[in-house]
Amino acid sequence: MTSGSAAPVDLTPTPEANARAADGSGRADPQRVLADRVDQLYSQMPLGMLAHLLIGGIATYELWDERTRDLVLFWWGLVLLVTAARAVLYFGYRASANKTGETEQWMRWLAISALASGVTWGFAGAVFFPSHTDEQQVFLAFLLAGVASAGIPAYAASWPMFAMYAGVIVLPFTYVLANFGNRLFTEIALLVPFFYLINVGIAYRLNRVFLSGYRLRHAYDRLTEDHTRLNKQLEQQIEDLLEARQEVEASGRKLTLFAERAPISVIEMDANSTILEVNPAAENMLGYSTLELIGRSALNTLFPADETTLTPAWWAHFVSHREPVNRLRARCLRRDGLEVDCEFSITPLVNDAGDLVSIIAQCQDITQQLEAERLKKEFTATLSHELRTPLTSIIGSLQLVTSGVVGEVGGEISELATVAERNAQRLLDLINDLLDIDKIESGKFTLAPESIQLSELVQEALILNKSYADRFRVKLEVRGTVPDVRVRVDRKRLMQVMTNLLSNAAKFSPEGSAVEVSTRCTDGIVRVEVSDRGPGIPDEFRARMFTRFAQADSTTTRNKGGTGLGLAISKRLIELMSGHIGFDSRTGGGATFHFELPALTDAISP
Amino acid sequence: MPDRPLQKVCYVEDDDDIQRIARLALERVGKMEVSIIGDPTAAIDGILAFKPDLVLLDWMMPVMDGPTLFKRMREIDSLRDMPVVFITAKASQRELEELRGMGVAGVLSKPFSPKDLPEQLRAIWRELP
Repeated sequence: MTSGSAAPVDLTPTPEANARAADGSGRADPQRVLADRVDQLYSQMPLGMLAHLLIGGIATYELWDERTRDLVLFWWGLVLLVTAARAVLYFGYRASANKTGETEQWMRWLAISALASGVTWGFAGAVFFPSHTDEQQVFLAFLLAGVASAGIPAYAASWPMFAMYAGVIVLPFTYVLANFGNRLFTEIALLVPFFYLINVGIAYRLNRVFLSGYRLRHAYDRLTEDHTRLNKQLEQQIEDLLEARQEVEASGRKLTLFAERAPISVIEMDANSTILEVNPAAENMLGYSTLELIGRSALNTLFPADETTLTPAWWAHFVSHREPVNRLRARCLRRDGLEVDCEFSITPLVNDAGDLVSIIAQCQDITQQLEAERLKKEFTATLSHELRTPLTSIIGSLQLVTSGVVGEVGGEISELATVAERNAQRLLDLINDLLDIDKIESGKFTLAPESIQLSELVQEALILNKSYADRFRVKLEVRGTVPDVRVRVDRKRLMQVMTNLLSNAAKFSPEGSAVEVSTRCTDGIVRVEVSDRGPGIPDEFRARMFTRFAQADSTTTRNKGGTGLGLAISKRLIELMSGHIGFDSRTGGGATFHFELPALTDAISP
Repeated sequence: MPDRPLQKVCYVEDDDDIQRIARLALERVGKMEVSIIGDPTAAIDGILAFKPDLVLLDWMMPVMDGPTLFKRMREIDSLRDMPVVFITAKASQRELEELRGMGVAGVLSKPFSPKDLPEQLRAIWRELP
């Protein structure tokens, strides 16, 4: 999934929201309704102004006479002034950039203009009615009734504005009528407020209709907006889903490809071990086709004979614990009745809800591997016995010859017998080293650790290797005093390491020089160093120092002897004794090998 | 430690060459009285006849291997307390432990040194209860 931005959309409105939406009141924004009303009111202004000027002009012409000339002119000026002010207001509103932000302000100005407009007509009624002829009075009454009722549509969006506008027209006129002293006029004066109230009532009703119209419009806009937004979100979600689906399909194809092309058998099962799917490698290994396997119980079909590993009890435990299992060995029955040794990795597939979706078993036929292991073991045993037995005779015979047990032999015979014995011994060393390294690497090597005084070890090692060093005319010496400390080691195996280091040092030392052994103990770590004055270790050889059959110069083997396994074995032995082995050398400046072992503290030494 | 020196040794070994070397080592170097038995199935009779101080047994032999022979000996009253030393080319630590657990007096490895063999046996002899 690439997008998580699309919020979930709630498409189910609550019942109360439905009720509010019916008349629009719930969804309409009052501020926007007000703005619409103001807009509606202002939109009526041009027509109102035009009517004002037209009716005002006609009235001025009709009412014109010498007596009232100044008053009529004043009134006509008032009409022009109010119209001009209203025009200014109208254009101001039209030009305003922020109509909605100042809606209430515009409403107030409009109310004032409506009042002013009403006042001009009220003035006309109050001032001109008494002073003019009967015909002109009829004209005026007709005019006033007209302009008052024309206010209904003009101010339909605000009934109080109409009430105010019509009120200032009607009130002075009614007053004048009532005080005229004429019975007819008095009766009309009584009817006018009644008509006024009816008109206000109509304006009120109309206003309500307008309001609900606006609200419905806004509610509709809102719904449309919501609808558009929902649609967009849905589109986004669909897009995301499609994208996710494509990704899933792509990774699915990848997985399928992995499974199909993998040399490892893959078997998918459910919790009952019913096979759901297998890959071609599994088909090959088991001799069944996919169709034959699907739906079968893996436990019954593939492991009927296996009574130690993949048993129904084991399976039940696995399904309930759901912990992946690695390197599980089991015998698997093929379709042709043959059994193959397999190594399994079994993994439970659990979804986010914690349900077991399926179980994936990956397995490899290790029959050949096991056979190779068996052969190796057999070979090792043969090496051990069949090579040692003749060597026992060879070395024994030569030793009896060289030691003079069977009579004195002299000169070249003795020399040659010594050469033969030494080389037979080398062959034996090689066999022993190979067996050692095999044991260590197969993890079958066990140590017999005991607590030993360090000085005792060093002295013993020097004595044991003296005769070997003598052959190279090299002395073995201890430098300084050996600290009084004990170590917990396998005596025989540590002696093997010491012998290896000392014999290597002696082998590479120039005649007449000394191999020095120095020891120290710091921070609970015992360090033993063996230094020689030989040629040192070539740079390019240092990295391979502790690998098997590593010898700096292959001619060394022939000249000096050695199997090339000594340091590799020493390193593993020291590491088995929780120690560390290393070296320090300058080409042409001798070499120093060292190993470090944890010292035994008094508290834990026996 | 037994109150007399090690004098008579019986060696059960199927390999002719090793037989010869062992005989030379024990007789010439060790100045001991030696009886070599090549056929393990005839070993019990041979040992009973020779009455050695100590028996040396090879591990791997045809027909009957050393450990089997050792168990047979333990079933015979007069041979139950006979000190037995195995001499073997088998290097397995586990098998050596097994042998020691069976009440074997000692284990020597092949190839052995003919010069040192008599002394190695005497060292084991001295350690006996």
